[in-house]
Formats: sequence, C-alpha cells, structure tokens
Amino acid sequence: MDRVVDELGLVPEGEHLTVFIPATGTAYVFRVRSRVNRGYEIINYGPLPLPADTPLLRLGGGLIPVPEFGVLPGLSYNPSTTPINFPTTFNVYDKSDMWFIPKEDRERLFHVKTFITPSWIRVSVDIPRGVPQRRFQKDRVVVDVDRPFGWSRGFIEVVRFPQVYYGFRVANDTNLNVRTFVRFVYGEYVIEIPKDPELVFNILTRRFPSYWLTMPITVMDTTLRAALTETYGFEGFPLYPVNKRDEALRAYAELLKGVKV
Amino acid sequence: MARELLTLYGETDGTNRTGDFPLYSDIIYSTGTAPFTPPTYIVVPAGMKAKIWARRVSGDGETDVIIQWSPDVTVATPMWIPVERVKLAGKGSIELEKRRPVVVRGIRGVEAFKISWSQPEAAKASVVVEVELTDEED
Repeated sequence: MDRVVDELGLVPEGEHLTVFIPATGTAYVFRVRSRVNRGYEIINYGPLPLPADTPLLRLGGGLIPVPEFGVLPGLSYNPSTTPINFPTTFNVYDKSDMWFIPKEDRERLFHVKTFITPSWIRVSVDIPRGVPQRRFQKDRVVVDVDRPFGWSRGFIEVVRFPQVYYGFRVANDTNLNVRTFVRFVYGEYVIEIPKDPELVFNILTRRFPSYWLTMPITVMDTTLRAALTETYGFEGFPLYPVNKRDEALRAYAELLKGVKV
Repeated sequence: MARELLTLYGETDGTNRTGDFPLYSDIIYSTGTAPFTPPTYIVVPAGMKAKIWARRVSGDGETDVIIQWSPDVTVATPMWIPVERVKLAGKGSIELEKRRPVVVRGIRGVEAFKISWSQPEAAKASVVVEVELTDEED
C-alpha cells in the first residue's frame, strides 16, 4: 500500500511522499508534481570527503589521522563536531554541502539515498548538524556510530529539508584502513502539499497510497523547528486515528491555511 | 543489509618457514608505516560474519596455508585456532572454490581471522582468498 516508488526507490510524478518526524509525531505530506532529474538519478560521488590529516576518534579511545583523502582508518569514527557534509565544486548554494538549499526553494525537495562502500561502514546523520538524533529510552541514552547500536550499515535514506544542514557520521568497526566510496540515488522533486484535508487524512491513516519515510529525528532542535516552520509554514500534520476523522479534518483545514507550498 | 566481497592477496616473505600473510586488497589502504601497515588479520564486526569462499595458493615449494580464527584479538596474546588447512604439495598452484564457505562469526566484535603459512623449506608462495563480509543471515 505504501510502496509507491519506482525501481530506484524514488517517488514517481503524481504520487505522494509522507515524511514522518518521530520527535513531534507529525508528518509532512507532499505530492510530487515533477521529478526533474528523471533519467539521471545516480551520482557516483567518489570517496567520503575525509581530508588527509583530519583527526578521527578511535573506537577504543584515542585519535588517529586520516592518512589519505577518503580513507577511513580501522576502528575509527568521526565525531559530531566534525561531520561529513558532502562538498562539491559546482556552483551550488553552498559548496560545503551540495544538498543544502534555502527556504526560498521550498517547492524543491531532495530525496537522497546514500550508499557507502564498503557496505559495513556504520552511518548515521545529525539533523541539524551537531545534534545527534539517535536515542534510547527517550533521552536517557544517546546512541550513535561509536556505540553498539544507533546506526545502519552502508546505507541511509533521508529527505533534505530546505534551510537545514545535515551532518553525517561514519564508523569503521573492522581493523582495516579502507578506501571509501559514496553513491547517491536521488530525486529532485518539485513538490506541493495537498490542500484537501480529506486526502491528507486518508494518506495519514494509510487508506490512500503514499511512500512513507520516517526521518531519524527524535529531538526537535529549535533551529530545525524554525527552518521547517519558515519553509512550510507549519510543523507538519499530527496523526489522528481513523475514528477521529471530523476532528482531524478541522485541524488539517486550519493548518492548511498557513501552508507555504 | 551489508554485503561486501573482498579479494585478498598475500605473499610469504621467502625467508621464514612460518608466518602470517600480510593482506592486500583494492579497498584496503596500507603503507609501510604503522599504523597503516598491511593487516595480518581481519576483525569481524559484531553481528557480521566473514565467509571465505575461495582459496588459491601458488608457490615455489611445499606450502601449507592455514586459516585461523581467534575469539579475541584484543588480548595481549590472542589464541588462534585453525579452521582450515590447504596444502600445496610442491611447486605449482591449487584452487579451491567450494559451495560452502569457511565462516567466521563476529559475536563481540573482537573475533578475527588470519591466514598463515607453514613450509618445510622457506620459499616464495602467494595466496588469494575471496572473502565476503556480510550481516545477512545466510
């Protein structure tokens, strides 16, 4: 029902994308009006952007430098204070982060699947940069790539909200110093938020097909909240049970008055 | 799910009758200087397993190639337990590609495997192994 994606795992034109945020229990519902990079969805980015001599932390304690651009030493990880941002030489909005777009481009949404070679590399993402999002038992424990869990191996999927910098973290829990490689499969969507409360309700009660993506956001940082509000005009649609239809429609209608896209 | 296939290559030093192969691969970065010297063992991350699918040995003389497993490579003197031995009877080469791999599991993330040689007379020999590191169930 919710696998409304093509063979690349991207949302085709005319279909819906639901982005759920666990921290707030809300979701954004987008209709993909256009996928402008149709036919060229793959970027062979190259090595992880780890400059030589960058100090990394050792999983057992201590520091180790990156010996050569893109090499991730054995048993090492990058701390939250030195995230990976995927810079580019192209004339993008911010060359330090090829996926960053400002809030004025709110009708654009990047859906990015990141594949890292070797595929055993642990990966997580801070949203916004510097704010770890992996938690256990509410906020009692912060887990991340340097812990036994709180990460995935070799793959991570996100949408890139405008006006928000993301910071990626990686760890290598073998003893091998490895040459890394990154491939992106992405969709550059032109999106709109459906203006029909009934449709939104049907999507959020999973009675209408939509691709659901749960973002790794368990903490709503103030800068993230501000960016989302400035970009879309609201913090997302709260989810209602199916038997609260009338209440949901009223709430959605009210929220839709302030929607910016 | 993670799944990575590595082709590892190692050579004897030609002067010692026994030793551990330093391992090279396109994906492994190494230099002649510590801590980036070629690895002589591979740690299997917790939750993953190393599947050793193929062994190719060639050399100038009789050579035993032994795959060994350690339950904890972080201790001062790791214990190494043989899990497979391939014998090259004399000058030449041998290739073994099996339907079932040799499996080494990462349970705590400190398990490791290495490939060693043993020769009655020191001679040049090399080994190639195909290793799959995966967290898939089978």
